[in-house]
Amino acid sequence: MNVTEALSILRTRKPGCEPFGVLLACGFTPLHLKTLMQAHLQQALPDRSVEIDTGLFGNLVETIDAAVDSHRHGALVIIEWSDLDPRLGYREAQTWGHKVSGSIVDTCRNALDRLARSLEAMPATIQVAVSMPTLRLVPAFSVPGWDTGAHELALEELLAAFAARVAQLPHCSVLNARWLGEHSPQNGRHDAEADLRFGFPYTVPHASALAEGLTRLVLPRTPKKGLITDLDDTLWHGLVGETGPDEVSWDLATNQQLHGLYQTLLQALADSGVLIAIASKNEREVVNQALQRSDLRVSPASIFPLEVHWEPKSTSVARILKVWNISADAVVFVDDSPLEIAEVSAVHPGIECLQFPQRDNAAGVRLLERLRDLFARGEVSYEDSIRLQSIRSSAALRAEGGEVANSESVLASLDATIEIDFGAGAEDRRAFELVNKTNQFNLNGRRFQPADWAADLARPGAWLAVVSYRDRFGALGKIAVLQGRVLESRLYIDTWVMSCRAFSRRIEYTVLAELLRRYSPSEILLEVATTAKNGPLRSFVKSINGSEPTSACAIPPERFDAACPRLYHRVVVTGEAQDV
Amino acid sequence: MSDLENRLVGCFQSVFPEMTEADIRNASQEKLDQWDSVAAITLVNVVEEEFSTQIDYDLLPNLDSFAKVLEYLTVDRGLS
Repeated sequence: MNVTEALSILRTRKPGCEPFGVLLACGFTPLHLKTLMQAHLQQALPDRSVEIDTGLFGNLVETIDAAVDSHRHGALVIIEWSDLDPRLGYREAQTWGHKVSGSIVDTCRNALDRLARSLEAMPATIQVAVSMPTLRLVPAFSVPGWDTGAHELALEELLAAFAARVAQLPHCSVLNARWLGEHSPQNGRHDAEADLRFGFPYTVPHASALAEGLTRLVLPRTPKKGLITDLDDTLWHGLVGETGPDEVSWDLATNQQLHGLYQTLLQALADSGVLIAIASKNEREVVNQALQRSDLRVSPASIFPLEVHWEPKSTSVARILKVWNISADAVVFVDDSPLEIAEVSAVHPGIECLQFPQRDNAAGVRLLERLRDLFARGEVSYEDSIRLQSIRSSAALRAEGGEVANSESVLASLDATIEIDFGAGAEDRRAFELVNKTNQFNLNGRRFQPADWAADLARPGAWLAVVSYRDRFGALGKIAVLQGRVLESRLYIDTWVMSCRAFSRRIEYTVLAELLRRYSPSEILLEVATTAKNGPLRSFVKSINGSEPTSACAIPPERFDAACPRLYHRVVVTGEAQDV
Repeated sequence: MSDLENRLVGCFQSVFPEMTEADIRNASQEKLDQWDSVAAITLVNVVEEEFSTQIDYDLLPNLDSFAKVLEYLTVDRGLS
């Protein structure tokens, strides 16, 4: 992105959008960096109006400290060498050489400690993205440019310790220097002319790459949820139906290590809660034998379901999506055949299809990196770790109850417990994640930034309910979040999401019944908005009110009582609701 | 109006989006509050990107009106 394109993006943004405030903290004049940063963020947030505040010129620490009491959504902290010691910047350096080398290292140590303390003091609701120094060091140390030298190594050690310290903060992320190196080569970063004349040290391409990287950090994308893989020439090398289960290969000895690495990555993804399924045109028996091989690097227990037959791959994908109960746009399909990819793409246009390369290790490594980026998540929650188990439970439930799983006898036999926690707060990461990724049972599709979520929970009369579920098939963990207000005698529900894994168990009725019992409102007001995917939520409201809502609607308690089906859950209420 | 002049108007509109074409042709740093030092550098950058040229920063103080930027591009840089 260049400056003209950035200005064009900012000029054409939608009017009247909710503001998204960001602090850009740097010790130099931000010039184009501010424009480019704003444009990159604006591109990623088309329904918000990005506003950037640059704080105090020349004082990085004070700018960060001033943000502590603010209501900003994010902070971008761009550290350059001159912020750590003015002698490391071209504008203010007065003394260099061996006489001051030790003192430069000491000054940097103190500055980094002070910066770390400032970042630690920032509110957790502000997402912070940190860029470590990106420019080459000034020639301050008495070693040639090709020799790192003891003092530069000491600085690198200090920077690494600082980055590790701040990256541990839940609201802080540090831009990966190697990623930046690929997008902005070192020798194209420094604009000496602009640095010495205006105090802006970056070339436009470098400022844009930096802005793109920081945008990715401060606005992380929703990771994909599931991966559907082919077998022959994908999970392993060879055609298992032709050569037999013992002859397909995936190791160094057969020069097919790429397939082994792919298996290794699939297991790592499965361990982090990513759903893995197989879609293969083969005989089931021969595939079962191959999957029993002890040297397979991905456990067959981590793969569910297996669609192995001769029907079209798109049919297999449709069945897998139904079992997983997620939409195609949350899934990646990997196959070596361009024909199969074209067929799946045509039937499931939302799915991301990736071709497994043949005899091209470089392309294979790029595929592995691409998969990591599509599925990467910062941390693995309890719910992530039990996701496959709960999918299997749902399948078992469907098997017992037929297509209509909520038959009375099945529901009555579930021995289900619903826990409703009224004591959770904005810091509950699983609740925040559910609110921001759930599509189908979603009251209005509203997404939140951490600062917005915290602000909503701080409103007068606000309450938050986080719902967990378990039954005889196992635990589903936290599966629903409701957030609203009690004002006068009315119960407002402003946010309501429930994981698709928890459908068909009447959990939504039990939760609403508990809210009625707890607050005894004169009526419930649902802030419904129609989205492309929230049909299940609207169907639920229709089951009570008799008509599908298209906008905010009320549910009188007596109407709910009349429409509520028989419920079999044991309800456990925990936490304290906020005083209302 | 020449193609070059139209493109230069576009550059000014990028930096000063609220201005009309007529205002832009009469614009000068003296008359336009928003044309501060930051806007001047941004404008130079946009002009450089539009015309794939490099402008010597020493000339920046002289390029203080639409007419002078146009003259610089046509006369000094020989663009048309």
